[in-house]
Amino acid sequence: MSGQLHGGDSFRRFGRRLQGLTGREFWRSLDELAGSPEFLEALHREFPTHSGYWDAAFSRRDFLRLMGASLALGGLAACGKPAGRILPYAEDPEGMTQGAPLYFSTTLPRAGFARGAVVKSAMGRPVKVEGNPRHPASLGGTDVFMQADILGLYDPDRSQTVLEQGRISTWGAYRAALSRALEAEAAARGAGLRLLTGSVTSPFLGQAIAEVLRRYPQARWHRFEPVSRETVYAGHALAFGRRLDRRFDLSQADVVVGLDCDLFFEEPGSLVYARQFAGRRKPQERMLRAYAAEPSPTLFGSRADHRLPAAASLLPALAYSLARRCGLPVPAVDTPQSCEPWLSSAAADLRRCRGRGLLVAGSLQPPQVHALAAWLNEALGNAERAVIYLEPPEASDSAAPLSELVEEASQGRVQTLLVLDANPVYGLPAADAAAALGKIPFAAHLGLYQDETARLCRWHVPRAHALESWGDALAFDGTASLLQPLIAPLYNGRTDFEFLGPAIGRLDASHDELRRFWSGRGLSAQDAWDDALRRGVVAATAFPAQAPSARRERLEKLPPPEAAAAELEAVLRPDLRLWDGRYANSGWLQEFPDPVTRLTWDNAAWLAPSTARRLGVENEDVLEISAGGRAVQAPVWIVPGQAPGVVGLTMGGGRSAGGRVAHGSGYWGESLRPASEARLLGPVQARKTEASLRLAGVQGHQLMEGRPLVRFATLSHYRKDPLFAKGERPGPTETLYGPLPQGGYAWGMSIDLNACVACGACVVACFAENNSPVVGKEEVLREREMHWIRIDRYYAGSPDAPAILSQPVPCMHCEDAPCELVCPVGATVHSDEGLNEMVYNRCVGTRYCSNNCPYKVRRFNFFDFADRQEEAYKLMRNPDVSVRSRGVMEKCTYCVQRIQEARLAADKQNRLIGDGDIQTACQQACPAQAIVFGDKADPRSRVAKLKASPLDYGLLDDLGTRPRTTYLARVDDPNPSLPEGA
Amino acid sequence: MSEDAKRFLAPGWDFGTVTDKISSIILGPTPLSWFVGFGAAFAALLLFIFAVSATFLRGIGLWGVGIPVAWGFAIVNFVWWIGIGHAGTLISAILLLLHQKWRTSINRFAEAMTLFAVACAGTFPLLHLGRPQFFYWLFPYPDTMGLWPQFRSPLVWDVFAVSTYFTVSLLFWYTGLIPDLATLRDTAKSKLARVVYGVMAFGWRGSARHWRRFETAYLLLAGLATPLVVSVHSVVSFDFSVAILPGWHSPIFPPYFVAGAIYSGFCMVLTLAIPLRSLYGLHDFITDDHLELCAKLMLATGLIVDYGYVMEFFMAYYSGDIYEKFLAYNRAMGPCGWSFWLLFALNMVLLQALWSRRVRRSVPTLFVLSLLLNFAMWIERYVIVVVSLTRDFLPSSWGYYGATRFDWSLLLGSFGLFLTCFFLFVRFLPAISMSEMRGLIDERQEAGK
Repeated sequence: MSGQLHGGDSFRRFGRRLQGLTGREFWRSLDELAGSPEFLEALHREFPTHSGYWDAAFSRRDFLRLMGASLALGGLAACGKPAGRILPYAEDPEGMTQGAPLYFSTTLPRAGFARGAVVKSAMGRPVKVEGNPRHPASLGGTDVFMQADILGLYDPDRSQTVLEQGRISTWGAYRAALSRALEAEAAARGAGLRLLTGSVTSPFLGQAIAEVLRRYPQARWHRFEPVSRETVYAGHALAFGRRLDRRFDLSQADVVVGLDCDLFFEEPGSLVYARQFAGRRKPQERMLRAYAAEPSPTLFGSRADHRLPAAASLLPALAYSLARRCGLPVPAVDTPQSCEPWLSSAAADLRRCRGRGLLVAGSLQPPQVHALAAWLNEALGNAERAVIYLEPPEASDSAAPLSELVEEASQGRVQTLLVLDANPVYGLPAADAAAALGKIPFAAHLGLYQDETARLCRWHVPRAHALESWGDALAFDGTASLLQPLIAPLYNGRTDFEFLGPAIGRLDASHDELRRFWSGRGLSAQDAWDDALRRGVVAATAFPAQAPSARRERLEKLPPPEAAAAELEAVLRPDLRLWDGRYANSGWLQEFPDPVTRLTWDNAAWLAPSTARRLGVENEDVLEISAGGRAVQAPVWIVPGQAPGVVGLTMGGGRSAGGRVAHGSGYWGESLRPASEARLLGPVQARKTEASLRLAGVQGHQLMEGRPLVRFATLSHYRKDPLFAKGERPGPTETLYGPLPQGGYAWGMSIDLNACVACGACVVACFAENNSPVVGKEEVLREREMHWIRIDRYYAGSPDAPAILSQPVPCMHCEDAPCELVCPVGATVHSDEGLNEMVYNRCVGTRYCSNNCPYKVRRFNFFDFADRQEEAYKLMRNPDVSVRSRGVMEKCTYCVQRIQEARLAADKQNRLIGDGDIQTACQQACPAQAIVFGDKADPRSRVAKLKASPLDYGLLDDLGTRPRTTYLARVDDPNPSLPEGA
Repeated sequence: MSEDAKRFLAPGWDFGTVTDKISSIILGPTPLSWFVGFGAAFAALLLFIFAVSATFLRGIGLWGVGIPVAWGFAIVNFVWWIGIGHAGTLISAILLLLHQKWRTSINRFAEAMTLFAVACAGTFPLLHLGRPQFFYWLFPYPDTMGLWPQFRSPLVWDVFAVSTYFTVSLLFWYTGLIPDLATLRDTAKSKLARVVYGVMAFGWRGSARHWRRFETAYLLLAGLATPLVVSVHSVVSFDFSVAILPGWHSPIFPPYFVAGAIYSGFCMVLTLAIPLRSLYGLHDFITDDHLELCAKLMLATGLIVDYGYVMEFFMAYYSGDIYEKFLAYNRAMGPCGWSFWLLFALNMVLLQALWSRRVRRSVPTLFVLSLLLNFAMWIERYVIVVVSLTRDFLPSSWGYYGATRFDWSLLLGSFGLFLTCFFLFVRFLPAISMSEMRGLIDERQEAGK
């Protein structure tokens, strides 16, 4: 024993000699070490017999070299006991059971606005994000970005060290450099000090920034948020004389008219709006009727009963026309005849539903339109009911725009710049922040990635991910919630506060500072603090509703919009997969098919079929679009329902420094954005180039070919024929085989097509829950994407203004499953609870099951798709789900691991699994609660009740597969006074 | 019967000369053309080995398959090669039982062709597995976990059908070889050849008792093989007709597949016989009458296949099923329509040329026709397997199929495997049965008396 210890000690000594050496030096030293007399002696002592034995058989030198290498490499430097007294994990520490996951409430902001989350932590590793039902901006739902934040946390491409001019440096060196810069600033009262942030709602950070500005009175704060709400605030300033924000309560509305407003995506309250909308689209109850006029199909527009594809430049005129028809004293404007049915119907409904209506405008629209919408809502008595005004939750509302910073910097008036997670070099190249940054002697950037802006700053500091940070943020209604870290920073990231702290002499950890900050705001008691952390919301912090009144005399004098004459215009919207590009390095999101185009990996320029014909382009042709001296080359995708004459561009593509995943996918739409930050790009020129780019779409065919797949009807039709969704001929039920044994439960799922807004949260949630692999663009092109649930999208009607129908398709878990019959090895079998189970270990990979699956929901591992090398991804994986190997089939399991978890919990308490104990990952993520899972044999369960609905139908039920997943047919509520299709 | 003997064996041959002629192919010098052909075949075999190794190393992701088209060239090749393998047994067994004497000179190499074709076919289902190392899970063997194959799956039936067929074909072929192996043993000059052929001949001495047992065994095996001719391709067709996919789910498949198999088998017999007889000057044994009879059988079975095509379209219309109707439309007018029209032009139009006696008697024409029609049968399997999969029930999942260079390498390489075996067979074993040819002479002499 003592001899071994002695030997270990001496090996450790050798190890120390090798430490710090790299490359050739390491090997050379190793060679010397292996030959040294001390080493030989130590070796003989450690392995007395073997060394003698090998001596005879092998060249002694060879053996020693090999042995030396394996000792030194295989932990020579690490062997021996760690310093200090360690304790075994024999008894669980308080608050933790080995192997059982823990759930923590936290907050995941998007563009500054909080969305509450509950994050699952498996043995200290965050593995899955769910919505926080107590949080007002989530209500339990999530969107694709919240789901993908898990991958973002572990992303190995994240910035990992402090950099000075691209060279590795340290946090200490950065702080020293910063204090030198700040000393100089202090003398000048901060005349050369500038801060640049995105939208900041965090009161904690806001206060820190305020303190910076107090200490350095000449310093200024600038904001650059690519998808900002500036037009909303400015519009309300026009209407009410105050910069106000607004939120909606769709449950109070019987009619909603959206002017290019994607309620379910762009708005900070999108998850809540989807929930409220779904609640008002039950055909058995009074339905909300939705109108949308928009240049590109949006999630909201796709669900509207009347959708008018209209150029963005036409929307102000439509707003005026609506206002006039609703009795406001505004000048008459010309609108195209083709808009007449939509306008008259929308106006009639708004007038009819006084106090129960809503006109909303999207942030793309100019302030004037927001002002008009506010005025109209007030005039119709909708204010304070369906629309509620509140002070902007953004602390950054008072910040100056980016353009002023650039101007001052180019004049050499900025000496010190601190950039907190803003990326103007990528987001607004027209502002030429790149050149301005070059003139700033001390520019420091805090960011998750060493992005385009970081590369031009002198200093770069890795930012802690939201899941690694202490902090806070406000929701769209002003409710405060806390961020608590689930894990210590993986890559030495610093929080926003820690980055700013040295500037205000506050060097304590974020936690202590945050705790102190909130002590002064009602969370001084430990219980209150704990409660806020536990619940994920600081109680009663929602902003009070404001009751502003419209300043009619000013509004009446607003100049009417000029007639739009552009032959071709462009709009720039946040990408449904990548937002403004900050999520571009997420493989989950790159591979998540865009809900409208169903394209992965690249963004495209959306064109109406008629516009594409006019420009002589087809899908995948590359179009050069230019405006104001700037140009971008983008591949074309023809989108039915896109307004003619409008090029729909999306943000987030063409990253030059976004990480390995983002690299090379998409075009840089932002490069067309003018320095004014407008996203309505006005007249553009388009020229067809010779080039083309293959786009990896996952749905090649867009029509239902007369098959009853998405069953839908109008409300009046439904009232006449409530059973319209039932198939004309039920499938054959005779079978040669006896009935399958029935277990205690009969799992089933119901998907409500009236609720689904096609946001895709279910798709990404499924990916996260089930350790699904990202396969890359080339493999998607070969039709090998691995999504277990997908959202099919079909068009019906004319290609210019089609009905847009979406249908989430997971495994149907057929009672008579065609896949089970044909598997030669019994790798896919039926459980007595009705699950169609996949036994990965038994699968030999004939793929016969997929051929025989009429729903094509099975996915095959054509290669070893799972990334087994990347260490960070090993931490990320759900420990309850196996990672599949090459050559096996996989598919939706109804989250069998969650069923099993609920069963264990119920068994321990000696009870049955209750309704709602199990939520599948897709169900839990769905903001609209479109998916319900449960025991269909229990007549009191929600799923059984939904399946008893007259709207219930099975996809392809005429085949006799008897699917356990069924749908509730979609019922739309078009204005009966309008002709069909208007 | 004597008529037959005249038609199928040119005059002037006796026991000795027939034996010398056929055994000289093996025991005499090897013509240069053999080396050229063998070299080309072996190069293709190396390509096959390369593609197989790559597939095993990287996975079948190297192929063009995806979802929805999860079966591609591999299954097309499998069905096609199995089809080719049908003519051999049909000639050997059914024609034997029907006392068709013309089978005599072509049965041996047709049986060898069957064996090699089935061997080629057998590789594909194995290669196409996602985890080929576990192929044996398809066999019912007692394992510690008590797991069995899932017997409702046609793929399990395939395993039995194909392996039985291969075994019986092998036994049948080898049994027929025994007297000839003894002849070679007795004729061979080199010691090595005498030993090898001697061992292979199992001590055959040609005694009356040997002959009696031989005849009984041969007849029994023929009886055993006969139902297999029908069953194998019927079972293969079940892979498709048991599935619910439009274009696969069709009760007409078993007879239509069997007819197609015999059809393509006779195509291949012609493809092989014509060069073989000119290479070794065997025109007196494989006469134009042989070729014409093969052509007639091709015409007959080809017409049954055509009937199958027509019925598929008729049933699509008659059933009123929207998926079947769409399938019929898509086959002809969809993005893969080219494959259907190619098939139509060859198998339905060009086939009719065989009604003409002039075509049937023209050897070069027959050779070209046999190549084209064999290709058409490959396309037919492509239309059935791949085109049906591209567009099934949910338009959202419709896809397309494009073969990769690994798919092509495997197809080309399987020819290499087949032809390498065949060249070796021609070089080392009698391609025409000497004993049966002697029987034919015997009959002629009897008739001449």
